Amino acid sequence: MSWLSRITPRGTGGRTDRNAAPSSPCTADPETCLMVFENHWRQVSWVLEQRDSGAGGADDLTAVRNHTDQMLCLLAEERPAGGDSDPPAMGPILQLVSSENILERLVQWHIRRGLDPDSQMALLKLFEMLIGQSHQPLLQHTSVLQPLLMLLGACVDPQFGCPSNLEASLVLLLNQVCVSMARQPAVLELLFRCGAVQQGPTNLLIFSLLVPFIHRDGVLGQQARDALLLVMATSASNHAVGRYITENSYFCPVLATGLSALYSSLPRKIEVRGDDWHALRREDWMGVPSLVLFMNSLEFCNAVVQITHPLVRCQLLDYLHNGFLVPVMGPALHKSSVDEMIASTAYLDLFLRSITEKSLLKTFLRFILLHRHDNDTILDTLLTRISSNSRLCMVSLSLFKTLLSFNCEDLMLQLVLRYLLPCTHVMLSQRRAVRETDLYGKSADKFLSLIPECCRITTAPSGEREEEPAFWGKVLGSPTSESPVHPRPSTPSRLALFIRQQSSGGAGNPSPSSGLDNTPSSPRSSVPSPNSPMHQQPDASDAESGYLEYLRDARRGIELCSWACRNWSAPYDGENPSPNAAPSPPPPPTSNPSLSMVPEHFSMQQRGGLTDAAQQRAAVVAAARAEWSSSERNSGEWDVTITKNCISLTPRSKKRSLLPSSIPMQPSSLPSSTTVPLLGTEEPTGSHTAPHRALYNGTGQVDERVDSSDGGMEVKKVKRDADVTDGDSSMNGRVGTGSIESSLTLQGGYRDFHTASTTVKKPAPSQVQSNMLPQPQPQRSPPILQPSSQECNPSEGQRSTSTSAPSTADTTLTTCSTHGLESVESLIEELLEQTPSEPQPGDSNGQGISIEAFHQELRELEEQVKARKVHTRSFDEFSQDPLTASPGANRADEECPPLEPEQGGAGESKTDGMFSPARPLGQPLAQPYIGPFMTVLFSKLESMMQNSLYVNILLTGIVFQLACYPQPLLRSFLLNTNMVFQPSVKSLIQVLGTVKNRIEAFAAVHEDFPSMLRKARRFLAARGKLDWADSPTAVPPLRRSDSLVKSRKPSLGDLILRHTNSPTRARHAAQAALAHVRDGGQSLHSALFRGVVAGTGASGLEKQAEALRVKNTVYCAVIFSEFLKELAALAQEHAVAMPFPPSQGTEE
Amino acid sequence: MNPFWSMSTNAGRKRTDGEEQGGPGEQKASPVRPSFGKKQLPTIPKNAVPVTKPSSPASATQATNGTHASYGPFYLEYSLLAEFTLVIKQKLPGIYVQPSYRSALMWFGVIFIRHGLYQDGVFKFTVYIPDNYPDGECPRVVFDIPVFHPLVDPVSGELDVRRAFNKWRRNHNHIWQVLMYARTVFYKINTMEPLNPEAAVLYDKDVQLFKSKVVDSVKLCNSHLFDQPKIDDPYAISFSPWNPAVHEEAKEKMFTHKRRPEDQPKGLQVSGLSWVKPGSTQPFSKEEYPLQT
Repeated sequence: MSWLSRITPRGTGGRTDRNAAPSSPCTADPETCLMVFENHWRQVSWVLEQRDSGAGGADDLTAVRNHTDQMLCLLAEERPAGGDSDPPAMGPILQLVSSENILERLVQWHIRRGLDPDSQMALLKLFEMLIGQSHQPLLQHTSVLQPLLMLLGACVDPQFGCPSNLEASLVLLLNQVCVSMARQPAVLELLFRCGAVQQGPTNLLIFSLLVPFIHRDGVLGQQARDALLLVMATSASNHAVGRYITENSYFCPVLATGLSALYSSLPRKIEVRGDDWHALRREDWMGVPSLVLFMNSLEFCNAVVQITHPLVRCQLLDYLHNGFLVPVMGPALHKSSVDEMIASTAYLDLFLRSITEKSLLKTFLRFILLHRHDNDTILDTLLTRISSNSRLCMVSLSLFKTLLSFNCEDLMLQLVLRYLLPCTHVMLSQRRAVRETDLYGKSADKFLSLIPECCRITTAPSGEREEEPAFWGKVLGSPTSESPVHPRPSTPSRLALFIRQQSSGGAGNPSPSSGLDNTPSSPRSSVPSPNSPMHQQPDASDAESGYLEYLRDARRGIELCSWACRNWSAPYDGENPSPNAAPSPPPPPTSNPSLSMVPEHFSMQQRGGLTDAAQQRAAVVAAARAEWSSSERNSGEWDVTITKNCISLTPRSKKRSLLPSSIPMQPSSLPSSTTVPLLGTEEPTGSHTAPHRALYNGTGQVDERVDSSDGGMEVKKVKRDADVTDGDSSMNGRVGTGSIESSLTLQGGYRDFHTASTTVKKPAPSQVQSNMLPQPQPQRSPPILQPSSQECNPSEGQRSTSTSAPSTADTTLTTCSTHGLESVESLIEELLEQTPSEPQPGDSNGQGISIEAFHQELRELEEQVKARKVHTRSFDEFSQDPLTASPGANRADEECPPLEPEQGGAGESKTDGMFSPARPLGQPLAQPYIGPFMTVLFSKLESMMQNSLYVNILLTGIVFQLACYPQPLLRSFLLNTNMVFQPSVKSLIQVLGTVKNRIEAFAAVHEDFPSMLRKARRFLAARGKLDWADSPTAVPPLRRSDSLVKSRKPSLGDLILRHTNSPTRARHAAQAALAHVRDGGQSLHSALFRGVVAGTGASGLEKQAEALRVKNTVYCAVIFSEFLKELAALAQEHAVAMPFPPSQGTEE
Repeated sequence: MNPFWSMSTNAGRKRTDGEEQGGPGEQKASPVRPSFGKKQLPTIPKNAVPVTKPSSPASATQATNGTHASYGPFYLEYSLLAEFTLVIKQKLPGIYVQPSYRSALMWFGVIFIRHGLYQDGVFKFTVYIPDNYPDGECPRVVFDIPVFHPLVDPVSGELDVRRAFNKWRRNHNHIWQVLMYARTVFYKINTMEPLNPEAAVLYDKDVQLFKSKVVDSVKLCNSHLFDQPKIDDPYAISFSPWNPAVHEEAKEKMFTHKRRPEDQPKGLQVSGLSWVKPGSTQPFSKEEYPLQT
């Protein structure tokens, strides 16, 4: 039967139309079309034959092209011949094309004739049109496929790839091929085999051609990736193709190393103005082309991992780990400049949030948990960043929030659980209590009782409120005031809580749901509520009544978490895994992970010798100044820090917490920063160092926020333009005087506060003593310190030389100062003095050192000293009976400087013994240690009053997230307020008690506290509403942080991610920084005289500094109160939560 | 009611002494906390008898809470909800309870006896929880129809619970234990200090007659199964004849229902990850694919 005979039945109707696309009616009848086609082919073949015999020119080419165009159009428009066969029988033209091998002859003619780019392009387009528009499947016919492959092979140089002008056409063609291949998987096999015949055994040409375009931006890259994904999807179950891709193509390496390349082109510094910025949102990175490019490729990786053959997946993950994460991401996270740390942390956070494929996520998590960079796991490094200054802290918190949201057992094991597993943190007799829940609301009660008295104010009379909230509010307000005989609860509505239990427990029949709709506790009632209930509350009293919202939040959090954890390997209930079998967790780090950054930071110095060292220092200074500018008015914050540190050592009980005996902590710790190079090497930094970090903690940022929205508490940002416009030299000249001034004023500021606190708190006698105690400390002489530095590893030693400047400054300070603050000041001074007149743009590339790097350094200096102190304290606590000891007094004694000369003489490890001669060496290591994560979170919590609002919101959000975990070990550690821990283990409730006392002490000396509190609440409520109204949908599960992020309406895309290489900008930054140093000094100066010279008129700056301090505290008070409600709600909800059975492996 | 209680107080102590696996002394030595995670349950709460000295964990717990000794209704409701959660977790065989719509202090229940003298009995009951729970008396259990049983009051239908919990101790006593007890009495007949002396005497003297009376009682109870609930409450447990249109679907649901978190976000990111090999505490100990590092 000829094709002619088959074409006739056209008239019978129906059959031929079977495959017709309704949109393109076939106008010409097939017979005519065929005749036209044949006609064209006759003319073309005449030319082809002519050409074969040697002649031919431009006219021939034109003729062939014209005819070919016509022919292929006809072919594309042809319908299948119908018939019941599958695939449908070829139409007549296609039959002719096949039998005469028309396409191959055409392509061969072109190739023989020498393909000029123009023809290539034309042919590619022609084929693309043909394959894209054909009404019948073409690629399964070798008569089409072969010439196509031939053409592709001819267009692409095996070495140099595809000429750029052809790229678009080529990729589009390949995309079309893949699309039709996806429709007819048989084509893949055919392609594979054809390729093998034509290109040798190793080429799936289509695929290889696409690989180079994986990382392209724009439409081209997208088309290539789409096409590749189609190949992947089609070949997912084809082992041969899987093997081909892994063994014979560069797909995986290209993909992985391409990510590395793209990563390296990402901005190293993320510049944001928003004080609350802590994570990259989509809006943020959409405007940054390099980041878009990276994200596209990462998304592509994710998609490939999702759909591809297991072989390919394994190889790709492997390459991603070893070709991207380890060599690129690892070092990036360990960059020395804080800017880069911020950027890389934010990137990592973004990547983690974008990944959806489990195995890809596993690769990332594995990298974070297990990979060691310079002996520290990535996780350890990231942990230490939480305790850093504001932005890095916030970005790190955000990252951990993301990590926690995975509910990953492996992560939680490393982060928290392995430290709790041995159960050594609880008294032996308490181990059984690990599994208890808060049956009678005692823990909840305890949490609620920690709401500071000063925060229980209500503005409006509660008369108008509905019964329900009033009821809850009342109960919350005074749990103890209830009469012993309770009225039977009269409102059935809340019993709706039971409904959930019934449906899950199999007890009882379906219940009528009448009357539930308007109950506050009905889980499904009303609109979705904003992430944080407190945002809903317009004023104080309403905030009090928001407890039901917290309960709902808590329930939701717990449910989601326990559902997500249902497939964990063990319940972590204190019995399984067995505490005895549990490997003892790593002790507190003996080397400070964060310190590892510092040597790197100064590595140039190492190479460059002394002159370079000077330059380095200059760079540091420039950077430091920039930092000053970025976190404006730090100096205003310093006395706050002192304040906080005074109380930071507060012992567990409320009574003791107000004892000012803890005050000596600050003086003694700061001066000792000079000794850092040697002392710090052995102790953990993450722990207990937060108070000092609070020095730099997002304080200036508060200004901005308040500027915009809270008139009442407004503090204007004062840019000292006059100062900034000074020439560099003049600026430099000012440094000396300015710094002296600042050191003096700082001193004064401290003293001022000190007296203030004294008067308020009626300090115990020990305080007076403590005031004097620090004096001897600075006298430690550098020579004594040197020997111990030799014990350090080379890099440590290097660092100690780099920081030797402070110790010299120290000696000068001791003569004039009575407390330690100056040592930091002097360090700054010292650094400033060595600055060349022209501020260096930084190190070689201007990015190695940033403003925050300097802070970083300072912080570490302090940390190390602090760490030593912690050491002391833990000894201290260990030795004390928790019930009788008075830790405050004790610490004051132990930490007092008299001990320190000894310490200076001996190395760190030896001093251990000296601190507590009664105890054998090494004992502290045997003490229960709750791990760096908890330690750093707790210390950050303890310094809540100094944290910026945003840090606190993130921080409490993370603790909330942790407390959602249903594992009894973790739950009891955080939420069981009745558990008795080992004395050396600080409990959450203790930490919160400290904060409570601080807030109350603060409120006691500020008469206008209530009104400020109301303002703060109103501001937060308004802001929360704004956030919520912004976009209620499409919120990634980042809880509160989202609302914060969202509140920054304008996209950051244009604001962020600009390199700061410009020397001009660096200079400006430095100038601004200097101005701020001066400002700070001035404000402190006036603060000093405020008490002494009363009525001299406080300067604006003084007010600013004070306002900042107050603001942080007031916001802290608001957050703190709400946080306690959250914790109480969590304790209660845990008691009524039902576990989820493990899934049967069906849904993984 | 008072004589009733005082009577059972004495009886209860003796009875438990005699019948439980251990006396108070022994229980003092090993105070048993409810172990939520375990499948196996003590047949009867071993700590049912008050111990004069609380065991150490409890004392610590109570001591710290001294200042906030009273609980508002706010805590009360959550405590009861927690108790209810415990009941569910215990998976008591043949016992179903449902808190009433009107008060968290009243629970409706039904108990199915599957073997023994009372086999095939379906007894509806109501649990009354004192409103000063958990610091008050033990909850009361009242059968809708007074079952013929030595420990069930033939008039009021009240079960003598007090003998097993003669002092209710929070943290130690839980409502699931009461329910457990209510079940046990039908399998282990106890005739000491009876509330229904006739039943007690018959059981001791003429078991055959006792048995036939029990059978009658079971029949009576079952014949009233479809009655309207004694207490009018939306959540009261009511029985109706099998109606495929209603019950098939409900049954199907019960078997297929898989609880998921409420308002679980759609398209939730990957979560609930674990690559920890059971029995190991090492991350990524459960290897899925080799990864050369």
